[in-house]
Amino acid sequence: MAKSRHKGIVRILIPVIVVVVVAAIAITGWNTLFRRAPLTYYESPADHFKYGSVGTEAVEGIPYWIWVVLPRLFPEKLPDSGGYTSLGLTWEEGREMPIGLTKERIGFDRVGLNCAACHVGTVRAENLDNPTFLLGGPSTKFDVQRYLQFLFDSANDPRFTASFILPEIEYNHHITLLENILYRLFIIPQTKQALLAQEHAFDWMNRRPSTGPGRTDINPFKIRVLGLEDDGTVGSADIMPLWNKEAQAGFHRHWDGLNTSLRETIVSGALGTGTTPKDINLDSLDRIGTWMQTAPSPPYPFSIDETRANRGHAIFKRECASCHAISGDRTGQVIPLTEVLTDPNRANHWTTEAAAAFNTYAEDYPWDFDEFQDTDGYTAVSLEGLWARAPYLHNGSVPSLMSLLALPEARPTSFYRGYDVYDPDAVGFVSTGAAAEIVGFKVDTRVTGNGNQGHLYGTDLPQVDKQSLIEYLKTL
Amino acid sequence: MPQDVPKATVVSKPFITISKRKFLIVLGAIVAIVLWLVWPLITNNGPVDYANEDEHFRYGSIGGETTDGFPYWVVKVLPTAFADKLPGEGGFTSFGFIQEPDHEFPIGFARSTNQFGLDVVTQNCATCHVGTLRDSPEDSTPQLISAMPGMTVNLQAYIQFLIAVAQDERFTADHLMPYINETAHLNPLEKLLYRFLVIPRTREELLHQGHDFAFMKRQTPYGPGRVDTFTSYKTRRYGFPVEQLKPEELDGIADYPSIWNQRSRQTLKLHWDGNNNDASERNRTAALALVAPTTANFESLERVRKWLLDLQPPAYPYTIDQTLVDQGRPIFEQTCASCHAPKEQGGYLLGTITPIEEVGTDRGRLDSYTYELASNQNLTFAGISYQGVDQRFSHFKKTNGYTNSLLDGIWLRSPYLHNGSVPTLRDLLNTPENRPTVFYRGYDVFDPENVGYVSSVGEDHGKSFFRYDTAAPGNSNQGHLYGTQLSDASKAALLEYLKTL
Repeated sequence: MAKSRHKGIVRILIPVIVVVVVAAIAITGWNTLFRRAPLTYYESPADHFKYGSVGTEAVEGIPYWIWVVLPRLFPEKLPDSGGYTSLGLTWEEGREMPIGLTKERIGFDRVGLNCAACHVGTVRAENLDNPTFLLGGPSTKFDVQRYLQFLFDSANDPRFTASFILPEIEYNHHITLLENILYRLFIIPQTKQALLAQEHAFDWMNRRPSTGPGRTDINPFKIRVLGLEDDGTVGSADIMPLWNKEAQAGFHRHWDGLNTSLRETIVSGALGTGTTPKDINLDSLDRIGTWMQTAPSPPYPFSIDETRANRGHAIFKRECASCHAISGDRTGQVIPLTEVLTDPNRANHWTTEAAAAFNTYAEDYPWDFDEFQDTDGYTAVSLEGLWARAPYLHNGSVPSLMSLLALPEARPTSFYRGYDVYDPDAVGFVSTGAAAEIVGFKVDTRVTGNGNQGHLYGTDLPQVDKQSLIEYLKTL
Repeated sequence: MPQDVPKATVVSKPFITISKRKFLIVLGAIVAIVLWLVWPLITNNGPVDYANEDEHFRYGSIGGETTDGFPYWVVKVLPTAFADKLPGEGGFTSFGFIQEPDHEFPIGFARSTNQFGLDVVTQNCATCHVGTLRDSPEDSTPQLISAMPGMTVNLQAYIQFLIAVAQDERFTADHLMPYINETAHLNPLEKLLYRFLVIPRTREELLHQGHDFAFMKRQTPYGPGRVDTFTSYKTRRYGFPVEQLKPEELDGIADYPSIWNQRSRQTLKLHWDGNNNDASERNRTAALALVAPTTANFESLERVRKWLLDLQPPAYPYTIDQTLVDQGRPIFEQTCASCHAPKEQGGYLLGTITPIEEVGTDRGRLDSYTYELASNQNLTFAGISYQGVDQRFSHFKKTNGYTNSLLDGIWLRSPYLHNGSVPTLRDLLNTPENRPTVFYRGYDVFDPENVGYVSSVGEDHGKSFFRYDTAAPGNSNQGHLYGTQLSDASKAALLEYLKTL
């Protein structure tokens, strides 16, 4: 009797123990791999813009510790020494993450991209200076394609294994036995697989000229988000500034004016950065959108000749204001290609088909899109912070304002971009010379999409007027 | 007969019949042998503990056993097994390391055990921060002074020795084991471990280090008392490829500083270029030359930190002319105090940066520290906390000059300027064209006349000293013109006053 009762308890106990153990493993595993910690909240809107999540960590986030050690393990896949700084990422003093990269915990810490990766510029007066950050400005140095390529190249390396990566992680960070097992069995192999899959999805990068730092095209929308076939078009274009949006209400957005809604532009931009309809963080984007309304453009950091600038103001009013003053008749409107005559590739890169696809995308979500369109030209942009937006024209094909006021045949056919030391004489970043060549990316204007023709406005002014006009443009 | 023996019995019959007693004896013997073999590995429990703070500073481990330590017996026999590769007589002391009587290793060598129970030797702060002082060439009992610059220690020569022995084909168990067996009483298991694991792994690690330190071949020789602090972090800790280091970043060889009296330095801009204003973070960086973020012994480092807070430099031991000192004080107050006196004594610029254009000294050390390195440092010690405080680096900054440092115990800190390019205080008060262009460092006899170590002697008692050439890259003795325009009488008075700091 006693024996059989004992047996009964065992009969119940064993399944209970099994269930408890399995549940414990499942819960611990879920906690360690998937549980979402509350997102980091940054009090200041500017800090939120620089470091806050827009929702890219869950799908495309790199495990933090893998991200930390990759440049130390695969430095030969970077363009230069300096770890991630060689890809143009910049750290503010004492911050853990570079501007534009987020660190959030979904199971384990993961690193994602946000808007600031491409929308913060830097400037230095001399090579050895620390950079000054230009929040909301086009990135001067960050080469997002090269960053992705580094991750892909690392994932393709046969050494991308636990036995190569884990020792370096454990050199820098205490991990538990369970974490060790999870890294070995799941996190490292999964990261490799995910990067290889992402490389495949970014296949289109291999079929067109590299954008280099500070530029992108619209394929992240067309191919990644909308799933359209690669049509082979080239659309390399400069990153655009995010300043002063309140004053730009109703303007066409993007270089070709493909949308006039700021909200749709921001949300689609976040999708292009790697978030998904499911993970997109609309509250975060709202905060950024609000910040953008009044985000100021940075004042010119070098000296300005006031007298000359005043003379230039008159010339600006006569020659440029109708398209480029914030209140100009045509400012924020699309100027037909036949009129502006600049490189047509970017305008042709965005298509009626793509606009229609976006307008039927994410229909089940309240934030879906309705206002995408296709245009036949380029937006006449307002010129806040123009000095910080070099190189010029939509495709960054003209290194300085000085060259932009020269006839196309007198503009340089090759120069370097991505070096953030400023040239106050030409008004633009230093684009020639040894230092610019070492750090920079060579722009050859004969490459598809890089044409430096068109925008002849002001090119026929007398030299003295050009000087005055440039002096005025520094004040914008 | 098959029927006589039941089948089951045949099956269960043991292969060897053994009585219970015999079995227990054999089992006991096996256990005893195993215990004997592993005993040395399971009874070594971490670093040797020293009750005295100075002893702990000189010989205590600050961590790094698993990542940076060298196997005890390898360190023990290297100077004899590779005597031909030493720069002179006297084993490790030929590198300028200081050997105290009754100690097994020189100052700076710490005995400990690693996670596998293996005896190891690690390096600690005292490697570069203990110096010696003698009154005359005949003085045979040098005074040892903790926390002063280790002005005799040629760290570069030691590193190059380690690399050279690893590259030598004799770095094998066949060559080293006989030396080890001479003094060590290793049991067979330990011998096997040394032969097949420890020695090959040590060699592999040293060759790896040799690659990371290969930038030394492109640099001006350091000599004793100097080191290039930041380049090795780039290659060893952040994976910057050694061949991609920019030439203009390789001239940053600078003097070891004194590390006493830290309480007065807590928020000053520290390191020669003032790249960090957090003293405990500065300590962790220094430790990182010898340990990994995960193997730093925070308790030990904390003990050293606390001890250094109020440790004072020794008073000037030679004659001081008090009348001259009194004359020198106002000159100091007028000429030097704003940058070099404690804040409460008028040093309002103490611990701030004097721009390179203004101070005019050699810029090599400044250029060796880069914004790119500072950026990478921000990820170091991430996720590691000690006593509830996050240890991640967050105070590093690229600067544009050199920091104005406190002059406590300045008489013991020769040669002067960050790169040790000016041998004595008297020379420093001369205009650059009148400072010596070539002199010797590493000699520990003091020169009270000029205030500094004797720098004109190239050799003594069979020891030769390092010839410092101010024309070599990074070695310039230009700049810091402060006080050079004073009259000779004023300089003499100022010099006398400086002895009292």
